[in-house]
Amino acid sequence: MTISPPATRSRSAVWRRQFLLQGCWNYEGMQNVGFAYAILPALRDFYANRPEDALKAVKRHLEFFNTHPAMGALVLGASVRLEERVAAGETDPRAIGTFKVGLMGSLGAVGDSFFWGALRPMASVAGALLALLHPLLGVAALILLYNGVHLTLRRRGFAAGMQGPEAVVAWLKQAALNVRTDDLRLLAAILAGAYAGVFAGRFFVQGGGALPVLASLLLAAAAVHLFSVLFRKAVSPSEILSFLLLVGVLILWR
Amino acid sequence: MAWRFLLAILLGGVCYLDRTAACQLMLHRPLVVATLMGAVFGNMAAGAQVGVVLELIYLARLPVGASIPPDDTGAAVFGGSAAAVASSSIGLDPGSFTALLLFSVIVAEAGKAADRFVRKVNVRIARLTAESVDRGDVQAVEHGLLAGLTLFAVTGMVLALVFSGAGVAVSKELLPRFGPASRGNFAILLPTLPLLGAASVYACSRTERTSAVFFLTMAAVCCGTVLFRWQA
Repeated sequence: MTISPPATRSRSAVWRRQFLLQGCWNYEGMQNVGFAYAILPALRDFYANRPEDALKAVKRHLEFFNTHPAMGALVLGASVRLEERVAAGETDPRAIGTFKVGLMGSLGAVGDSFFWGALRPMASVAGALLALLHPLLGVAALILLYNGVHLTLRRRGFAAGMQGPEAVVAWLKQAALNVRTDDLRLLAAILAGAYAGVFAGRFFVQGGGALPVLASLLLAAAAVHLFSVLFRKAVSPSEILSFLLLVGVLILWR
Repeated sequence: MAWRFLLAILLGGVCYLDRTAACQLMLHRPLVVATLMGAVFGNMAAGAQVGVVLELIYLARLPVGASIPPDDTGAAVFGGSAAAVASSSIGLDPGSFTALLLFSVIVAEAGKAADRFVRKVNVRIARLTAESVDRGDVQAVEHGLLAGLTLFAVTGMVLALVFSGAGVAVSKELLPRFGPASRGNFAILLPTLPLLGAASVYACSRTERTSAVFFLTMAAVCCGTVLFRWQA
């Protein structure tokens, strides 16, 4: 049986719909409804005159699925290509489930580490620093820095996935996200150091002389170190803020 | 004031959708939200000041797997609206600024509870969707997603209304009850908050060279700031 590749219209519909991957995020299937929704236009193309097969295909994609939303585009593109092969009778339908389950965990870890753990902190701290000059400059920097990388990776990931599951690994290797994660983390640390330095200079240094300046700097550095140790011991920022709020209330009480 | 709240609800709905359900274009970040809320309630710069500090504080908590971080979008809705209103009434002195930032932690935790509730309701929507598909209704997938999106959007709009209302109420009713001297005492805690934000980034940016790079940059910028001040 020969199946035509997804029409440009359904391909762009899948691309648009992947932005709603988490539209019905839930504790049971997580992104399952979002994934089925995103791939639906392609399934309608492949199984145009076979409603029974279309139903089976939709059910396949309502299985548990969870990965980083930006990396979802890669899995989605490759799943479209696999569905095309299943519809043509070239592949076992179970291969799709195996492929998705096999990839979602590792891609989730890579995506969380890159996007949440490196790119977002870097863009946030750059935005916060520039917002000290002008609020709109900071907002623009945050949105452009993050989305410049985010949307590019989504688009390239989706295109790589659409070439087939075999291209996924090659693309991941070429993208070298682990190396970029380390680079972005280092950049975020430099910018965060500048951010801490600006505020340490603003708040702590009241009197003249080198000694108070040095003491203030050491105090600020010790505070940063203490907070980071608490974060690494899984203390939540909310818990630290609640403690500070309590201290504030006690100060007022006195 | 009514149109300001209406605008806050609309913008809040969009920002909350961006937070989980749609796109993740960072429109939900505290810097963006607090600046927007500041503009809506009359002082963009005051809102942005809150956003600059709140932006980094919660970064140490990543939205990994099923874990839900504190609602920093809600904290920014509260902080941005409160700062803008305070700046035009009692003035945004360091004490009031610190108090608003610290009060926002209550909002962040309340928003987190609301987020958890929405995701639990979504379990029911997902089950209904699966049942409808089992009965042969493929379109149920689209309806299910639309229901989930609507729930996220409506919850976001309600939270935006409640949190901006709380911000306005705190600035108009609570803060003026404390005299300038009392609020001044509160300001003692202010220096710790940006440092908490910097520590948040530092903690989630761990590489072999992070410590050296972070503290050297901090020392250089701090000394530069001081020199600049002395020369001025």
